Amino acid sequence: MKKLAIIPAYNEQASILNTVRDIKMNAPEFDYVVVNDCSTDGTLDVCEKEGINCIKLPVNLGIGGAVQAGYLYGVRNGYDIAVQFDGDGQHSALYLEEMVDYLIDNSADMVIGSRFIKNEGFQSSRLRRMGIKHFNLLIKMLTGRSITDPTSGMRMVNGDVMRLFSEDYPKDYPEPESVVYIMSKGKKVLEIPVLMNERKEGISSISPTKSVYYMIKVTIAIFIARVRK
Amino acid sequence: MELRLQIFIGIMVVAMLLAIANMVRKGKIDLRYALGWMGFAVFLLVLDIFPEIVFWFAELIGISIPANMLFLIGVILAIVMIYSLTVSVSNLSMKVKRLTQELALLRAELEKNVAKNDTESDSRDGRSD
Repeated sequence: MKKLAIIPAYNEQASILNTVRDIKMNAPEFDYVVVNDCSTDGTLDVCEKEGINCIKLPVNLGIGGAVQAGYLYGVRNGYDIAVQFDGDGQHSALYLEEMVDYLIDNSADMVIGSRFIKNEGFQSSRLRRMGIKHFNLLIKMLTGRSITDPTSGMRMVNGDVMRLFSEDYPKDYPEPESVVYIMSKGKKVLEIPVLMNERKEGISSISPTKSVYYMIKVTIAIFIARVRK
Repeated sequence: MELRLQIFIGIMVVAMLLAIANMVRKGKIDLRYALGWMGFAVFLLVLDIFPEIVFWFAELIGISIPANMLFLIGVILAIVMIYSLTVSVSNLSMKVKRLTQELALLRAELEKNVAKNDTESDSRDGRSD
């Protein structure tokens, strides 16, 4: 079974090497690919110097476009399982094999690593948690399923979903919308509890004003995703 | 404003909102750009339900005919939409330029590699004429 870890990276020169090492050490059965989203810092240099497997986007596409490039890579190279893994050190590769087992044992199409099942580890700011609760309720209303961490970037998918995402993936703030999208196509989405770390280096990319736009845009997008063609 | 007119405008605006949402659903418009039009439609709906806002604004700025206020608002919003599209087009234009350049460079590298492989296999051909 071919397994791929997709690591989108925008200006993560400080943490990208450790992220790759984490995967090599704690999930050695996983191949990985770093998707360099036209970083303006030394991320690309680190990748080239350390021989890190990397696809280099010639223009910046944002998290949606970068991750989709990873899914396209997965489809083109015949992978059966793909997991999204942050390049900033927030995720831990110790959970990867567990997620694979859970996916297969439960015939799931997607497994999300959720911070809010056991509520341990880095829990994010109060504002963010409120936003996540909002999406949780919205998704529950529209699909009947409770997704406790719809914004989690740690998600594993099988080949079918990989193909769906490689063709159709939101450009920005893609996480909640894409979950609803595949659920509207009848895909089975499960979650397992994980611990995440606080962002060690670099700056998060969502500011207060963008947060408002984010909430509105994603809310509307979720409604539309529910009835997607 | 006459109730008939309010109802008519209301129906038109709601139809516009539904049409846009449907285009997004079918994947023909990007939601990001559609949001601007949706916001525009909602704003018009609010003015339609509470025309007093238009009257109040008109008086505030010193416009004597309320209909002119509506036109002014419409023109300003249209300009804002066009400006934001200008920004998007500029951005896309820069990306396309960059992609074109990268493609050309990639092609040059590829041709160089192909040429190198050809000359290598020629010398390894082993044919003696």
